[in-house]
Amino acid sequence: MSSDSLKKRKSKVLRSEGGTPEMKRGRGDGDPQDLRVYSEEVELDGRDPEQDFLQYKESCESLATLMSEIQDLKASGAKEGCAEIEQRRMQSCIHFMNLKKLNRLAHMRLKRGRDQTHEAKQRVDVLHLQLQNLLYEVMHLQKEISKCLEFKSKHEEIDLVSEEEFYQEAPQEICRPQLTKNDPHQLTLARLDWELEQRKRLAEKYKESLTTKEKIQKTIEVKKEHLRSLQPGLNNIMQASLPVQEYLSMPFEQTQKQTEIARHLPPPLYVLFVQANAYGQACGEQNGSVSILDRNLCISISGDVDEAKALSKPPEDSQDDESDSDAEEEQEKTKRRRPTTCGQLDDKRREMLKRHPLSLCLDLNCKDGSFLHLYFYYLMNLNIITVKTKVSTTIDINMAISAGELLKSDTLLSCLYTNDQGRETPNPANRYQFDKVGIVTFADYVEELGHPYMWVQNLGGLQFPSDVSEGVRVGSSLSASHMERTMKLLRGRVQSRLALHKQFASLEHSIIPVSSECQHLFPAKIISRLARWTTITHQEYMDLPYTRHVTGAGLAKETDLYFMAVVERGTARLQAAVVLSPRYPEISPLFSLSLSWKGERSGRTDDNLRAMESEVNVFKNELQGPRPGHQLLTNQLARLCVCLDVYLETEGHDDSVEGPREFPREKMCLRTVRGPNRLKPFKYNHPQGFFSHR
Amino acid sequence: MSQNPLRWAIRHISSSLFYVFPLCIVRVYTSLIRLFPLHLGQFCVFVFSRMGPVELLHMSVFSQSFSPCGRFLAAGNNYGEIAIFSLSAALSPDATNLSQKPVLLFTAHEGPIFSLLSTDCHLLSAGNGEISAWSWTELIKKNAKPLWTRRPNYKSSLEIPEINSMIINPRDNSLVVGGGDNNIHIMDLEHGAFKSVLHGHSDYIHCITVREREGEILSGGEDGAVRIWDSRTGQSVHCIEVYKYEDCARPQYGKWISCVTTDSDWMLCGGGPSLSLWHLRSLSPTSVFPLTGCQRQAAFYQDMILAVGEGPFVSHCLLGGEVKAEIPCTPQSLNTLQLNTNSTEHRVLTVGGSSDHIDVFTNLSYRAFSLSF
Repeated sequence: MSSDSLKKRKSKVLRSEGGTPEMKRGRGDGDPQDLRVYSEEVELDGRDPEQDFLQYKESCESLATLMSEIQDLKASGAKEGCAEIEQRRMQSCIHFMNLKKLNRLAHMRLKRGRDQTHEAKQRVDVLHLQLQNLLYEVMHLQKEISKCLEFKSKHEEIDLVSEEEFYQEAPQEICRPQLTKNDPHQLTLARLDWELEQRKRLAEKYKESLTTKEKIQKTIEVKKEHLRSLQPGLNNIMQASLPVQEYLSMPFEQTQKQTEIARHLPPPLYVLFVQANAYGQACGEQNGSVSILDRNLCISISGDVDEAKALSKPPEDSQDDESDSDAEEEQEKTKRRRPTTCGQLDDKRREMLKRHPLSLCLDLNCKDGSFLHLYFYYLMNLNIITVKTKVSTTIDINMAISAGELLKSDTLLSCLYTNDQGRETPNPANRYQFDKVGIVTFADYVEELGHPYMWVQNLGGLQFPSDVSEGVRVGSSLSASHMERTMKLLRGRVQSRLALHKQFASLEHSIIPVSSECQHLFPAKIISRLARWTTITHQEYMDLPYTRHVTGAGLAKETDLYFMAVVERGTARLQAAVVLSPRYPEISPLFSLSLSWKGERSGRTDDNLRAMESEVNVFKNELQGPRPGHQLLTNQLARLCVCLDVYLETEGHDDSVEGPREFPREKMCLRTVRGPNRLKPFKYNHPQGFFSHR
Repeated sequence: MSQNPLRWAIRHISSSLFYVFPLCIVRVYTSLIRLFPLHLGQFCVFVFSRMGPVELLHMSVFSQSFSPCGRFLAAGNNYGEIAIFSLSAALSPDATNLSQKPVLLFTAHEGPIFSLLSTDCHLLSAGNGEISAWSWTELIKKNAKPLWTRRPNYKSSLEIPEINSMIINPRDNSLVVGGGDNNIHIMDLEHGAFKSVLHGHSDYIHCITVREREGEILSGGEDGAVRIWDSRTGQSVHCIEVYKYEDCARPQYGKWISCVTTDSDWMLCGGGPSLSLWHLRSLSPTSVFPLTGCQRQAAFYQDMILAVGEGPFVSHCLLGGEVKAEIPCTPQSLNTLQLNTNSTEHRVLTVGGSSDHIDVFTNLSYRAFSLSF
């Protein structure tokens, strides 16, 4: 530390010594030698540093020897200031001066060296900067070159005509073959020129076409205007022709209006409408006339058209819907005030069972002036069609009591096709909907809504696969394929019901009507008489002891109608329980017999009564009469009377009993008994008039 | 032209109608086919039919016969159909409802089939006045084609007489046939010719049986008589008028005899009169069975008598005259009873009557199951 501080002090001293004394000296030196410019620096140039170094060494050595001589002298006891010492001190001072000079020179040399290196370094820096600039420039230029190389001209995208074509078609001034043949650049330019030329021409053409188009459009407009001006005139003519149409019974106007309304029908009813219309027209043409009066089928649409319109355009009045829903909410609020959840459920049910506002009415003419009116409704939320029926006749139909069931809407169309009772909904998806709102069965609503028969769905083009809940499809082909058959079945059903109706009226008066065509089936004299014809219930029928085999065989269904006929002759009384299928006469009535005469006998125990049963039940084909067999039931009853006659007259006479037979034999029989079960001859042979066995 | 009137007519008519409308021609053709059904009708000789429910309800089974092998049962009904049931299938432990249905059902005759009979290899069926033979081997192969059909020489009559009973007389290999014309016809089975007619009954014959050792034929008829015939001479040897015996007579029913069967010296007969057991050497009734209703068929079985008739049961009677049991069955009245003696493993009793069911008894004391048409 002490040494460091010493050195610092030394250096400071040295600088001050080096700076100021030099300048002093320089001034001091210079002042006397103004003319001779002295500069240590110049001196410096002329000196060799090696030499200086040697001089320095010499000085130091001689200084050291002088010091040691002084020490020796001092030691030997020489006095201060003796000549020898003084001399030697003088000499050492000279040496010190020399050393000082050498030091100064070394400093100056160092400074100069430093300056020189600095200068050189600056030069190098400048040069380096230059190099950098140049390199950058090179790089940039390279980039530019590659950019140029990669440049794509627009003309490459243009689909030019091929070269040959170009030389063929382009005029000389454009193609300039002498110039372009060898220079591909010129060739491309020429080709582009040609392209431009061509395009210009085409653009012109396009403009021309546009103007012609405009012209044509204008003419079209004019013509349209003209046609539009015809409309009122035509309307007037139509209006004027209405009475004529009516007079000629050609309902053009009416059908037009109807189709207009029909557009708002829901799809299934529309399919039904179109198909029924088509079928009706086809039938009308077959009959040779299209007049409305004797058309077999008449279709009309009833209901609120505006409401239907609103329904059929749901997107337009979505806002209205919202307001509606608001209103509904309000309603609901008011309802909520009434604390009945039952009422809500009721409303939901009503909503679910809602009908489409439009309904279809089909009037089916059943030949003898009676009409079957079918009213088709579409239940929107259940996606099924229901039907209600009404029969109108020209004659009075309220005379037969037992016929009450016959024309009821409930039973009239039951089982039109096998097992189609129309009590349950045919759409399997409805089951889940019903579960939600707590409807147990659709049958509870049938009275109000109509019957959803399977055939109705088919007519509307709706088909429900038996187990899958999806897959409802609407098809007019489905409807068309069912239309004719169903219409025939409907007509047949009504005719048979009307025929039955008439027959029942006379049966209740104990008259069995036998038409002239069927007269040959029975002998002229029939003594047994129908005493009673009444309707009975299914339960009453099941309770009868002699019908057990019928119920056992599953032939007495709930949908069937049941009747009791009583045939009497003398003391004998024959009861016949009749099952009448709704599909009569396709499915024939089934008789079960019980005879009370000398005890009770029934078809189950007495072979002959069983034979009588099969005579009416099995050999019914002979009894059908003229097609389609509407007289089957009455003929069966008539045959039953004949058979009872035979039965009673051929009954073996007990010789031990005195007195005449109760029933004298009047019928002509070849044999009274035959076969191991001793059957009586129940078969009547027409022209000969005798009875034989089967 | 005159050789083929059909073709001539078609050509003639169609040429005159060609300009009208093609559809008309089609209609003309179809109507012509309807006019000449000969060519189409030849194909349908036997129609294999299934009856509707009403027909089934009114069906009666009149006759049964087991096949010679004992594995099959043939049954005839009132519609002239014969059903072949497979007993081996119905009696097998893995029998289903389907095995109780006939393996073959075919229409054999027009009228009801009152009698069926099996020979060594044939099934004989009696329809409305005709007898047909069917080969059992073919029937088992479900091939229903009659081998032959014969008709006894009936005197002309308005109504074709029915055949109520047939039996084979093994002594001279002949078929004894009795039915509606009051006579017994004997047919030689080797030549197929009817060789003799036995006259004697005054009303139609219900039943016939043969006493093989004595060479006698017994017949019971609507006239109330059981006649015993000598099969060699064709003479009526005896005539028993059962209804005249006070023990048997039931005037409230009538006098006809609807079942006759014999076993050595004993004869069983019944019908209008009560079922009774007769000693043939003394020609006197030994026991009368107190059964209600008229009996249609009876059979000796071991030391018992089985009888069926009116009423839904099979009656078991002892030879002494007591009714041992009445076993209930499905049909309300029974026409036929048959014991299968041809096969030991299918030894069953089958009964049929006024139903489409044939009850099968594996054990005599209860009904096991029913075969059905």
